Amino acid sequence: MPELPATSGTPFLETRALHKFYGGVHALRGVSLTINSGGSYHLLGENGCGKSTLIKIISGAQPASSGQLLIRGQDMTGLDPIAALDAGIETVYQDLSLLPNLSVAENIGLSQQLVESSGRLFRRISPAQIDDVARRALSEVNLPTDPEFLARQIQTLPIAIRQLVAIARAIASKAGLVIMDEPTTSLTRREVRNLISVIRRLQESGTAVLFVTHKLDEAREIGGTGLVMRDGELVQQCDVTQASNAEIGLWMTGRELEQGRYRHSPVTPPAPLMQIQGLGLKDAYRDIDLTIGAGEILGVTGLADSGRNDLAKSLAGLAPPDRGKVVLEDRPLDPSEPASVISAGIAYVPEDRLTEGLFLEKSISANVTMSVLDRLRNSLGLLNRRKARELTQKTLDELRIVAAGTEAPVQSLSGGNQQRVLIGRWLATGPRVLILHGPTVGVDVGSKDTIFRIIQAQAENGTGIILISDDLPELLQNCDRIAVMRDGAVSRIFTAEGLEEETLYNEIAGSGGKTAREG
Amino acid sequence: MTATRTVQTDDTTKPGRLAQLWLWSARHPAVFPAAMIVITCAVIGVVNPDFLHIANLFDILRASAIRGLLALGVFVVLAAGGLDVSFTAIAAFVMYSLTLIVVNFLPGAGIVPILACAALAGGVLGAVNGLLVNALRAPALIVTIGTQYALRGALLSFVGTALFMNIPGSMSAFGQMPLATVTTARGLTVTLPAYVLLTVIAALATSWMLNYTLIGRAVFAVGGKPEIAARLGFRVAHVRVFVFAYAGMLAGIAGVLHVSANRLANPFDLAGTELPVIAAVVLGGARITGGSGTVLGTMLGVILITLVSSVLILLGIPSSWQTAILGGFIILAGLFFARIDRMILK
Repeated sequence: MPELPATSGTPFLETRALHKFYGGVHALRGVSLTINSGGSYHLLGENGCGKSTLIKIISGAQPASSGQLLIRGQDMTGLDPIAALDAGIETVYQDLSLLPNLSVAENIGLSQQLVESSGRLFRRISPAQIDDVARRALSEVNLPTDPEFLARQIQTLPIAIRQLVAIARAIASKAGLVIMDEPTTSLTRREVRNLISVIRRLQESGTAVLFVTHKLDEAREIGGTGLVMRDGELVQQCDVTQASNAEIGLWMTGRELEQGRYRHSPVTPPAPLMQIQGLGLKDAYRDIDLTIGAGEILGVTGLADSGRNDLAKSLAGLAPPDRGKVVLEDRPLDPSEPASVISAGIAYVPEDRLTEGLFLEKSISANVTMSVLDRLRNSLGLLNRRKARELTQKTLDELRIVAAGTEAPVQSLSGGNQQRVLIGRWLATGPRVLILHGPTVGVDVGSKDTIFRIIQAQAENGTGIILISDDLPELLQNCDRIAVMRDGAVSRIFTAEGLEEETLYNEIAGSGGKTAREG
Repeated sequence: MTATRTVQTDDTTKPGRLAQLWLWSARHPAVFPAAMIVITCAVIGVVNPDFLHIANLFDILRASAIRGLLALGVFVVLAAGGLDVSFTAIAAFVMYSLTLIVVNFLPGAGIVPILACAALAGGVLGAVNGLLVNALRAPALIVTIGTQYALRGALLSFVGTALFMNIPGSMSAFGQMPLATVTTARGLTVTLPAYVLLTVIAALATSWMLNYTLIGRAVFAVGGKPEIAARLGFRVAHVRVFVFAYAGMLAGIAGVLHVSANRLANPFDLAGTELPVIAAVVLGGARITGGSGTVLGTMLGVILITLVSSVLILLGIPSSWQTAILGGFIILAGLFFARIDRMILK
């Protein structure tokens, strides 16, 4: 690995005893850190530990409650987004913060125009300059620079490309510090490698990079300083290439985490619970034969276009298959709508919890009890509030959800806790088969650990579990068997015990690398 | 190393032929009202060849001028993610009050200062909408329903209820000033009034503002995702006040045009004409959810509405039919634009 510029450059940004309160919540408790020009830093910590808050303060999105922020030695405490951009701080937010209805070029180039006018809006813009800035930035991240692509609306692009556009925007101006909040969640390995080389070039020109990440492997590949946060405090600074996963996990959570396989009692013989027979959906998947035993965890993986997502939706009643059948405990399943699937005893926890799963502004209680309201009736047929509260409290306790109470809105929770609320809702239905789609996407290691333990406990109770994921360690740690889908069909089923990650990866990618799915 | 989901960059940045067509339509929503106008004209032309006469074009343009101004305002508010239904009340308030003031105190005032005053007064009333939306953090639709009633009530309670026809000379002259004249086969003289130019200028100015100024792009940014626009440094509150003030300004001008063209000032006029204007904007391809649409589309939407609702009268088509035809077009627009979204959105 080439030598990275050490973190011995001149300080670019310094924070001194930053505190942040949200109402009664003390989100940051005196964070002091220094970021040197040309250095790379990895902000590590569980969801809800204050990482996002720290980034929002540094990028000017929110003011700190107290403390100081220095940029190049100058006190810039309380800066707004435009002042932050002007001072050379660029941020790639986790939600990418792209304007969906504006063009690629505008998303990249408008910020600069806004900074030049100091935020005043009654100014002419220069489309030629916007296009110029966009072309330069796009070529840095190997995206097309033709006029047609420049004019494409962001909302018409797939998520991986949006992520690259967001990164292009951040590096469009010569920034002193680029903050990237989980920049690789939707990228392929090739794109990640490309991103890493972009980052190296940035560092060579003196730009500091601050990553927020859950992916320790990538952090090590980039190298630099790990900044570990827990409960709003900076608890540890380390060299990421030297610290082990176990050490970092311990700093982040304050407790030891499982590193190997999570083991539930072996299923022998697996009593067949659900059988998928010759299931097919035009242009999505075909000839799917799978059996899930009681208490078994079956992994399903494959590339994004392998058909795994459509299969998941079909089993949830969201995309009725046009061939084959599903038999659950000897009864044929009617997969034509979610209601019939749910009443048959299948619970589906979707991948995108924000848009497909949770009612963010509603309370935890409302979210958890939503699918079991009929069991919470009193003699008049009205909702028994006490029962609802008890059920919610039980879910909070069992799933170790950290919340201000059963009536707190779900959007006040961290990502890991939100995910647990969603899982809790479906566990409340007492499902026979639990389908989890990417249960730990954007979830930190501590929450992952908790979620895995919940999954294992469910399997112990005899629930059949289908875990659809592209996180290979997650599959290897949890599953009994792993089915790999390619081009719409199951290409192979592995026994997970003793399986090498590389073997699994090669099967997913296929020998030819890129998948062809024409016609 | 974790494998991540894969998207083939090369395929998705180079859309196929059909996908390109949809993408093009999404960027040029004016194709929809344009196509509807062509079809409607062709059908009418077959039934009644007399229709395809320049005189009818003049009629359509004249009848579209006021609705066009109002629609531009609605479109700008809609592009920023709001919805304004108070514009007719603003137009009525400004036209009646201003005409009254001019008649009683400044009978010799020229049309230019009158228009300027109307623009200013409308702009101020519109800005109040924007300030209320910001201060109350309430949906624009609710706020403007409130201001619509409040303004109309204030107009009828405090300003007056009587219509009067002795409008100022400069306004009456402006309403009759011809731009072009044609004579039909039956010997009727049809005039294209000069005030149509006002709408054309407003459309060109609005289009320039939306596409070549920061505030214009900010309007779309806020209409796309306000919280992200704010994070990127767009001052969302300023943009909101601006769009409502802009709509109010156009409504004020439209009010004066209305009096000038009809040569009477009736405080009960314009009430209840909100929906056809909003329908025109939607026919032109602006999504009701904000952040989209074009000035050209909006203008063609207005012409389509005028074509169906007023010109068909001249051809003797019953008004119940017109309503049904209009409803059909609007549903078709809904289908078309929803289809585009389904085809292009990832």
